[in-house]
Amino acid sequence: MLFLTRTLPFLFCFVFGVTSWIIYYVPHEYAQTIEREFALWLRLVFAFAYVLGLVSLLSLHWAKIRQRQAGWAYSLIVYISFGVMMLFVVYNDGNGPFAPQETTGPYQWTFINVHVASSATMFSLLAFFISSAAYRTFRARTPEAAILLVSAIIVMLGRVPIGAYISDVIPEAMQWLMSVPNMAAKRGILLGVSLGAIATSLRIIFGIERSYLGGGDD
Amino acid sequence: MERLINIDRRIIFVFVFLGVAIPLLVDIHLPIKPTPTVRSVYDEIERISIEDPDRPVLVSFSYGASTVPEMVPMTRAILRHLFSRGRKVVGICLWPEAVGIAQPIMDELAAEFGMKYGTDYAFLGYKPGQHAVVLNLGQSVAGTFPFDTAGTAIGDLPVLDGAKNLKDFSLVFDFAAGDSMEFWWIPFGQEKHRFPFAGGCTAVMAPDLYPFLQSKQLVGLLGGLAGAAEYETIIGVPGSATAGMEPQSVTHLIIILFILLGNTVYFITRRRGGTV
Repeated sequence: MLFLTRTLPFLFCFVFGVTSWIIYYVPHEYAQTIEREFALWLRLVFAFAYVLGLVSLLSLHWAKIRQRQAGWAYSLIVYISFGVMMLFVVYNDGNGPFAPQETTGPYQWTFINVHVASSATMFSLLAFFISSAAYRTFRARTPEAAILLVSAIIVMLGRVPIGAYISDVIPEAMQWLMSVPNMAAKRGILLGVSLGAIATSLRIIFGIERSYLGGGDD
Repeated sequence: MERLINIDRRIIFVFVFLGVAIPLLVDIHLPIKPTPTVRSVYDEIERISIEDPDRPVLVSFSYGASTVPEMVPMTRAILRHLFSRGRKVVGICLWPEAVGIAQPIMDELAAEFGMKYGTDYAFLGYKPGQHAVVLNLGQSVAGTFPFDTAGTAIGDLPVLDGAKNLKDFSLVFDFAAGDSMEFWWIPFGQEKHRFPFAGGCTAVMAPDLYPFLQSKQLVGLLGGLAGAAEYETIIGVPGSATAGMEPQSVTHLIIILFILLGNTVYFITRRRGGTV
């Protein structure tokens, strides 16, 4: 059993990890064929992940409804919405489930007028919360915080037309802030993150990090 | 001072609401000046339209419902520019939600410019796999997207004649609401196959992508609604992004004024020996 639960997954990880790493840099026909196949398998895994996500979502909300947990009515809405959208997909504006999905009909209407509208509204609410948070927390307590505050104000003004309306210097200062200090900081962060990701990947590929297998380090 | 520090957040919400609502009702004309990163995208499309007019442009839609207000204006501006120059356009989606959003826009704008489906443009829909899709596209477009959303085989779409892989496109453009540009397209596509690559993203993501502009892995970038408004200004067709600049300008100004007020209260309270 230890072979199936520990050794075999580790061997898979090692073989696929090292092979994927090498073939990325090899333009040979055979390497390209392997890369194509690996990418196809990966896409299959992604597709199955959607099924897993759907099963997980429905199971979670079913448990909430069954146990009448707090907010169970929202879970009921999840089921109703899912059912209605599935019906519309199967109906497919009168063409049935096996025809290519139409860009007209009840599914598209509901998608644009309910899903897109409500998702965009939720995202837009961030503007209100950010405004309130900025008022309460954005304080020039230290010289570094003061520099950040001034930079933020320049960028906020420079990104919108009112900045240029006040002074032509503001958009230019914004562009400099974005292209020089921001870019330097972002590049540093990106390099750090990438090096960390490489180190973690190597630890996983060579079996030093095995927590993904579950069951502790033993 | 105490009351100002602990101001009811609903008061701030009202100001933000008015900052958005009033400029939508009252026309306040503010000039929009395109930034170099946006201008670069326009220049690249103009360049390929003259120097490389036969090869199609690949447009990737990597956004979903929540970012529609920010991403759709730039989608319309870029597609309008491409179609107005008679560019052949092939659309794909790397986010599942993008299909229902992007396809009607493509169809609408193509019809406006008299572009014919299959010959001048095509929409291949969504494939799961994120960077794996980009890897596969680098080798074979037909192998990755064998059919379009209407079920037509890729081989029967003249717009894709000669476009076997990513290198056969004159430009690849990604509309991104996530990390598709820096973690999918650049490492697994542009860096590997070296094709002209440009993008449009949400405003919050734009600062992350500046290193790729300097390294020329990104030809140009449209950041958020402001980027879309700048593009609309360049092509001379003001749309919803241009209209959105006035509320956004006023709202930014309100937030800045609140930040300044908060700091003024903070320094006065601190000078009096209080704590904030």
